Amino acid sequence: MDFAVLVPYLPQLALGLGRTTLIAAFAIATSLAAAALLTWGRMRGSAAIRRTIKVYTQLVLGLPILTLLYVVYFVLPSAGIRIDAFWAGILTLTLYYSPYMAEAVRGAILSIPHGQLQAGRMVGLAEGTILWRIVLPQAAGVALPALAGIAIGLTKDTAILSVISVQEFAYATKQVVSRTYAPFETWLAVAAAYWVLLSILDLGVRTLERRVNYYRPVRGVGR
Amino acid sequence: MFSLETLQQTLSALGSTVWITLMLTLGAGIVSLIAGSISVSAQLGGGWVGLFASRAYVSVMRGTPLLVQLLVLSYGLPLLGIRVPPILAAILAIGLNSGAYTTEILRGGVLAIAPGQIEAAKMVGLSRFAIWRRVVLPQAMANSLPMLVAEFSIILKSTPLASIISVTEMTYAGVLIQARSFSSLDVFLPIAAAYVAIFYAFTMLAVWLDRQLAPMRG
Repeated sequence: MDFAVLVPYLPQLALGLGRTTLIAAFAIATSLAAAALLTWGRMRGSAAIRRTIKVYTQLVLGLPILTLLYVVYFVLPSAGIRIDAFWAGILTLTLYYSPYMAEAVRGAILSIPHGQLQAGRMVGLAEGTILWRIVLPQAAGVALPALAGIAIGLTKDTAILSVISVQEFAYATKQVVSRTYAPFETWLAVAAAYWVLLSILDLGVRTLERRVNYYRPVRGVGR
Repeated sequence: MFSLETLQQTLSALGSTVWITLMLTLGAGIVSLIAGSISVSAQLGGGWVGLFASRAYVSVMRGTPLLVQLLVLSYGLPLLGIRVPPILAAILAIGLNSGAYTTEILRGGVLAIAPGQIEAAKMVGLSRFAIWRRVVLPQAMANSLPMLVAEFSIILKSTPLASIISVTEMTYAGVLIQARSFSSLDVFLPIAAAYVAIFYAFTMLAVWLDRQLAPMRG
């Protein structure tokens, strides 16, 4: 094994890692936004909207993400919607991960005791104030561990986008392998880089968890 | 865009590749159970070396993409002089990946066993190994059976990745047909439906098992 063959390609690999980070951050943001919409529809929408979201959630739960990626990438263009690989990737990650996130958020909101809402109304707070000042700050802490796990899963799944030639880390790695002819060394080094990236993400989320849950008397709540 | 001919092609391809998908799922499920059992044993009864090894295994498997693990394994095995067909490499990679999650599931199952049982087993003179193999592990698996079946359905959803190392399972069969026919809806819709159907069959099994086991948990 000779890892020195990788040295000339380090800038290329670093660029790929940077792109993976950006794609993951972007897709986490779009998924959270979509999850907020789904949660809103599931809790406040009409019966038809609630039903549709429920069916959609159950379909996505049963579908492999690679299959969904092919559906998005191949079926949309045949319906006349032109979409390039990057956006197909972002769309797939959002479609796949937002229902999982929405379930986590909904569970967290439902975990806030109903008495708190009644108390808020009693003292004359507006519904919006109750939502933003009482429900959501607490729900954020409850939902965070689950959301963090989902976000880490999303980040790992960005590697799958390489099969439709989205230029991210795994794609850059494939290109480097075709030059170095050292697939094992290259993929092993890349695995280590992914591990570092995801461990940093994990550590960051744990710190955030402690800060969001600062008001809880019990230590070690969450993970 | 929609043609009956392509649909027929897809359905017949599904009929032959569904077995590959199920074989991958079953094989990886068995590997996952074995890896998870070893890892949880090391974690709870293997001293600090076992604890460290198990933690490292779980962290690496959960901290890197499965796609990367598949490629490392399929390029790494030949370097060790081990030549296996791609489907076996895929079963190993997916199973070892899932084993990290099975470790956590089984750990929950072990910790749920009443300590009195282990004390009783010591009393009647069983060895440490016998207690682990005859008393702890079987009950841990029974305790966490529904979760293990749920893990099985997650394995099912990982199997399309085997196509990366050229295993033609359901999804890749679809890609091949799509490349020839340039038609997509009538290829990927039946395939997606097949996954959802198998997934919910597993889910129903998990729910049923959970109900069967409920009285035992008291």
